[in-house]
Amino acid sequence: MVNQRSTLFGALLALVLLLSACGASSPTAPAAQAPGTAAPAGAAPVTLRVLVHQNPPMVEFMEQFNQRFQATYPNVKVDMTVVNANELSTVTQTRLTANDVDVIDIFGFSNQAQPYMKNVTPPNWQTLIEAGLLLDLTDQPFVKNYDPAAIADAGTYNGKVYQVNLGRVSYSGIYYNKDLFAANNVAVPTTWSELVAACATFKAAGIECMTAGGKDGWPIFVGAYGLIGAMYPDQAGLVEGLWTGSIAWNDAKALDMWSKMQIYARDMMERGASGIAGDAAPGRFASGAVAMFPGGTWYASAIEAAEPDFEWGYIPFPGSDNPDENKYLFGKYDQGWAIAANTPNKEAALAYLAAFSDPANYQAFINAVGFIPTQPGATLDTRIGAAVAPYLANFRVGYEQYWVAPKGAGEYANPYASYFQPFGTYNDVQTLADKVQADLQSGLDANQ
Amino acid sequence: MNNYHFGRGWARLAPYLLLLPGFLFYLVIMLGPAIATGFYSFTDASGIQGAKVNWIGLENYREFLFMGQASRDNYAALVRTLIFCFFVTTIQFSLGLLLALLVNQRLRGVNIFRTIFFMPVILGAVIQGLIWSLFLYPLGGPLATILGLFGIRSEFLGGQPAEAMAWVIFVQIWANLGITMMIFIAGLQTIPGDLYESARIDGATGWQAFRNVTWPLLTPSVNTNLLLNIIGSLQAWQLFLVLIGYRNGTQVLGYLIFAQGFGQTSGSVTSAFRQGYAAAASIVLFFLVLVIGLPVQYFLQQRERRILG
Amino acid sequence: MSTLTTGETASPPTRRAAARRIAWARIGAYVLLSLFAIVYVGPLMMLVITSLKSMPEFMKSATALPTSLRFENFVEAWEKANFLRYLTNTLIYTVSATAIYVVTAVFVAFPISRGYVRGAGWLLTLYIIALFLPVALIPQFQLMLNLGLYNNPVGYVMLFLVNPIGIVILVNYIKTLPLELDEAAAMDGCGYLRFVTSIVFPLIQPAIATIAVLHAIGIWNELILPTIYLTNKDYYPITRGMIVFQGVYGSNWPTLAAAVLIMTLPMLVLFLVLQRYIVSGLTAGAVKG
Repeated sequence: MVNQRSTLFGALLALVLLLSACGASSPTAPAAQAPGTAAPAGAAPVTLRVLVHQNPPMVEFMEQFNQRFQATYPNVKVDMTVVNANELSTVTQTRLTANDVDVIDIFGFSNQAQPYMKNVTPPNWQTLIEAGLLLDLTDQPFVKNYDPAAIADAGTYNGKVYQVNLGRVSYSGIYYNKDLFAANNVAVPTTWSELVAACATFKAAGIECMTAGGKDGWPIFVGAYGLIGAMYPDQAGLVEGLWTGSIAWNDAKALDMWSKMQIYARDMMERGASGIAGDAAPGRFASGAVAMFPGGTWYASAIEAAEPDFEWGYIPFPGSDNPDENKYLFGKYDQGWAIAANTPNKEAALAYLAAFSDPANYQAFINAVGFIPTQPGATLDTRIGAAVAPYLANFRVGYEQYWVAPKGAGEYANPYASYFQPFGTYNDVQTLADKVQADLQSGLDANQ
Repeated sequence: MNNYHFGRGWARLAPYLLLLPGFLFYLVIMLGPAIATGFYSFTDASGIQGAKVNWIGLENYREFLFMGQASRDNYAALVRTLIFCFFVTTIQFSLGLLLALLVNQRLRGVNIFRTIFFMPVILGAVIQGLIWSLFLYPLGGPLATILGLFGIRSEFLGGQPAEAMAWVIFVQIWANLGITMMIFIAGLQTIPGDLYESARIDGATGWQAFRNVTWPLLTPSVNTNLLLNIIGSLQAWQLFLVLIGYRNGTQVLGYLIFAQGFGQTSGSVTSAFRQGYAAAASIVLFFLVLVIGLPVQYFLQQRERRILG
Repeated sequence: MSTLTTGETASPPTRRAAARRIAWARIGAYVLLSLFAIVYVGPLMMLVITSLKSMPEFMKSATALPTSLRFENFVEAWEKANFLRYLTNTLIYTVSATAIYVVTAVFVAFPISRGYVRGAGWLLTLYIIALFLPVALIPQFQLMLNLGLYNNPVGYVMLFLVNPIGIVILVNYIKTLPLELDEAAAMDGCGYLRFVTSIVFPLIQPAIATIAVLHAIGIWNELILPTIYLTNKDYYPITRGMIVFQGVYGSNWPTLAAAVLIMTLPMLVLFLVLQRYIVSGLTAGAVKG
């Protein structure tokens, strides 16, 4: 018995020693450096800490970029951490608080509180800026490499630039299977009625019309964002109208939208879609089982990876019967770079962003990741790039990036096609429209 | 307080001193931050260092409990949480006891069975969810295929809220049955074999032996399992996240709190952090669990005193 | 269920009848257990099947049987996830935290269970309330940061030194130890510390093994805490190492499944080893003589 006890304590002691040895030998984060003593990038050794979210093509590119950067600046070692996208916000916050990061990956500024919105919480990035945690990049030379509209839309707050945004994605388009269309004599739909007819033709031939990664929830309603876009091309105006009451989710125009969404959910989308995981959907489409796949431009590389010889195209979701109203692509600004305001390695961080923003490096990045470029000179040489090129002039930021819900609004206060059966519980357009508006109204009323 | 036999004077302090390290850890690591959460709940803190924090009193609570349709949705989530708790606890408790009884005998290969039933616990929530997502794949997954033989078609986790929740209940029980079973097994070990002998000699049937010997002497494990089951199922949300995601009509309170605090309610990744609000919501859940948990614990203590003296 | 009896010492005239009864019940038990086992093994096989597929094969059909067994997934998982280094880290964290936790937990649970400290009832209530407490991720982070324990293995281990579930299990289990034991030991001249470490610890082996397993598994599988607290890659546990297989819109499921299987192996071994202690049950004979 005594032996048991002494071995237990002995083991504990050994472990504690082992731990402290581990702690002592590994380098601690250089937060110990006094902030402000910015060593020039060419002098003392510096560890540049970069935080990114998981996105395999991007991460792969970054690892190569980091090698090249370290070769150019031999005294800088780049320590890049990868976290899952849904943890990025939390980890950004904790690492900024602990002053344990220099360059952060941040999504384009969006969902800002507008003057007509009462009693709403500012978005996370705004709180970061107001807390003084993001570095002001306004006068940095590399900012000029980017499209001024992109900088203004996605990286500016109160007239100052805090982020350089690296690219846009569109989420309101449809991928279509060229072979299946040709085999069934279906023309590429340019209006809603043509889309309905195309789906009917496919289903009569025993082919599923559309698929999406329904198990993750959002792919089904995001697939229908094109419908909202066709009905309400001015999405910022839509948001304002909803808040001020001039637009309601159960007025005549909205009812038209809801009817179409019901047809989309009930008749077009395949029944089993609710069980398909988000990452399985591109594979399913690429396997030729389904004619169309409403989704974002980010799926293009997955489709190509699944079946490189597969012939597909990408068109805006035709939500209107007027072809002219179907030429917009709605999307959002995706990843961007920002710098921690309190970083002790300011020079190195700025050099890092400058190197990244160099047109040659940026072009390589775009080729790897497939974003719609935010630098004027860059081109998207991939198949998705060619597909969206005709619509680029009509790129608009989507509703989702403007919308802020009033506090107290119910859970149905959104234009989601997935509220309809078989994905949700509603099968009557008027009932759902009234419910959606009621849920929204509840929030609007609560904040008068 | 029982009589202490191990010394007087300075020696009487031994239990206190040896208890101190564990208790200090608890105060610092658990209680301290929890109390801080309480304070946070009265502010509009975003959780970001250096951001302005304002004291707003009960405003967060008002928003969670009384503001608009959102509050009514919260109550619906509350009801769902209670339903979830009821089903999970009753079924998991009963099955756990059954399995422990079965596996506690001198049958060949019980080790293997015990390990099989405990495997989900070893794998953790994310893997449990992954396994069942694959198994319940509606388009040709194993269960879909089997049910297809009977002509039954189901969307499983993607189906209507009631069905989706039923599946989450099933997976939750499947995942945690091993723990309930192990605690019962440990408890069964404490029952002296000669008691069963005497019961048999007195002519007791299996059921009578169980009712008069096993069940009363299992009271401590019964208490442990009931308490842990009830508390655990009231707070559970991880399986919901992995199996269903954020879908109207299926959220339970734990998930709501996590989602609202960390901005996961829609597909957007830049929604606001609202630590103050999330803190208030978690305090509400805490009180719910308190209101249920403390009386349960009290009742269980009383029952134990009655049975075991 | 007459199978609850622990022996077959029936008197001769009824032995055959008893044997028949018991045989039926034995079969019944096996059948029932096997049914349950199917419900368990079936889904678990999904993991194994997935780990043996190639990625394109998996994308085509997540649930079909693999056409060829791709064991390279395991090699790939081991190398890409930097398993050796991270496994070592996880082992250190888990073993040290569990060891310290178990020891301190017994010293907390024992006096509470016996009532040897004043306010034992209140203490127990406090620990039970701890079960209800909300997860205070950000306040806990700020506390650890201010204590200088951020990005520090010692600080990380400290996060796992408390587990109220274990206290509840221990307190209830210790109740099954007869009070006379304490009295007898004290009369033999045993001090409190020696009593607890030499006599109580071995007697509550089942409970200790149970809480050790549960606690170790919790630490082993923890993902969000290392993401926040351990930013230095040398400190990463294996759950962090698996990020290389997780994508944004899709993960490399087969390799991830292989990585998961490798990762859970040590915990499986731990459970198999500790199972013996959980079912050892020594108290039944403790008070005799």
